[in-house]
Amino acid sequence: MDWDWNFVWEIMPTLIQGVKITILATILGSILAAIVGLAIALARRSENRIVARSIGWFAEFIRGTPLLVQLYFIFYVLPDIGILLPPLVAGVIGLGLHYGTYTAEVYRAGIDNVPRGQWEAAKACNLNGRHTWTHIILPQAIPPMIPALANYFIAMFKETPLLSAITVLELMNQAKSVANTYYRYIEPMTLVGVFFLVISLCSVVLLRWLEHRYGRIER
Amino acid sequence: MKKLGILAGVAGLAVSTMLLASGARSADDAKLEQLKQQGFARVAIANEPPYTAVAADGKVSGAAPDVAREIFKRLGVNDIVASISEYGAMIPGLQAGRFDVVTAGLFMKPERCAAVAYSEPVLCDAEAMLVKKGNPKGFKSYEDIAKDSSATIGAPGGGTEEKLALNAGVPRDRVIVVPDGQSGLKMVQDGRIDAYSLPVLSINDLVKKANDPNLEVIAPVQGAPVYCDGAAFKKGDEALRDAYDVELAKLKKSGEFAKIIEPYGFSAKAAMSTTREKLCAAK
Repeated sequence: MDWDWNFVWEIMPTLIQGVKITILATILGSILAAIVGLAIALARRSENRIVARSIGWFAEFIRGTPLLVQLYFIFYVLPDIGILLPPLVAGVIGLGLHYGTYTAEVYRAGIDNVPRGQWEAAKACNLNGRHTWTHIILPQAIPPMIPALANYFIAMFKETPLLSAITVLELMNQAKSVANTYYRYIEPMTLVGVFFLVISLCSVVLLRWLEHRYGRIER
Repeated sequence: MKKLGILAGVAGLAVSTMLLASGARSADDAKLEQLKQQGFARVAIANEPPYTAVAADGKVSGAAPDVAREIFKRLGVNDIVASISEYGAMIPGLQAGRFDVVTAGLFMKPERCAAVAYSEPVLCDAEAMLVKKGNPKGFKSYEDIAKDSSATIGAPGGGTEEKLALNAGVPRDRVIVVPDGQSGLKMVQDGRIDAYSLPVLSINDLVKKANDPNLEVIAPVQGAPVYCDGAAFKKGDEALRDAYDVELAKLKKSGEFAKIIEPYGFSAKAAMSTTREKLCAAK
């Protein structure tokens, strides 16, 4: 077994195709997780007890089952009831839902951290519910959440190889098919690791900057 | 500086892997002795009936492991222990020493012959495609799929069918790697792929179990040759392979070979009318 640089350059374009899909899935999954998480956090605070309870159970259910099982369910079982999603869409929904239940906890903590006086002040100023949320509570709650949210998004990024199980041609799947074609694992798998490491490190730098720029609010 | 450190780390890892690998060259006859002593041989299979199958209780059957079990018994190795693997991972797994032999319907082709030491032919089969009833897109060959720019084909990763499709000009993004037979069947039923390709006997087995009137089998696929597999050994284990070949030839001659593989639907005559040399040279 030996490291072959020519082989590395030969397979690079194929792997870069995979990197693009991996990044796309992460970005779309993160956006979905951010929205789903907020929706769950708000629904759990709903005054309607049935809504709050059932959403709570739903979140527990998703969090308590493995992402891989959920992906298989979305990909292979949903078509039986007429919902046929393309592989990438199925994968993004799986990632978004799964991580949405985790980000919901981040939102919950962030919202709980807004001092009680802010709610009372909003009431005193006669702001309605929607204005209270969009102008008072969320602008104070979200910035401190950025580091925790970002951690989940990076964790999600590292879980995208699971999408290879439902035929999404992301980085891991491309590397596997390259390995299958040439009977060589050392270069493709090393490169997958290097790609993930480099992208993770870049994201950390980017997120630290975001945190620095937006993460502090003045009270 | 930090970046350099990472690069050095990666390079160091690669170098140490190379050093480890070069130390692991096994002596020839020692291999059979070692298998005899441990009492079993580790084989790679794919769980694709009738080639290879794993029953619910974990018992390994299928034509390929059954032949291997009999031959190893005659060589003095009592049993085989199977692990399920993707086709593409079998040869690297063999080279890495994860199995002693691949008995999985891994068809002989020149590039595979270059990578492993095959026994003489064991199981022969043509290629087939599973499509929806009435063959709505009118496929007859892999080229037909290449021509229809909206058509997709599923195949096992690293399997013969995947390469046949790619060689026929189907672009990579329309050749969907399907993890197992059941998933492939489901993906045709759901319309995720237009065709699912496996050897004829595997497709027939799958369709029989599914019992779905909305499916149809195209067999044989036009332009695709009949392939034969053999037991695949690691390069360097040629002595073991030669011993295996001797017993295989005896089995073939005595008619026991036919008794093992024909109940599974394979033709003993097909395997006996060709040789490794011919199959490995075929283009």
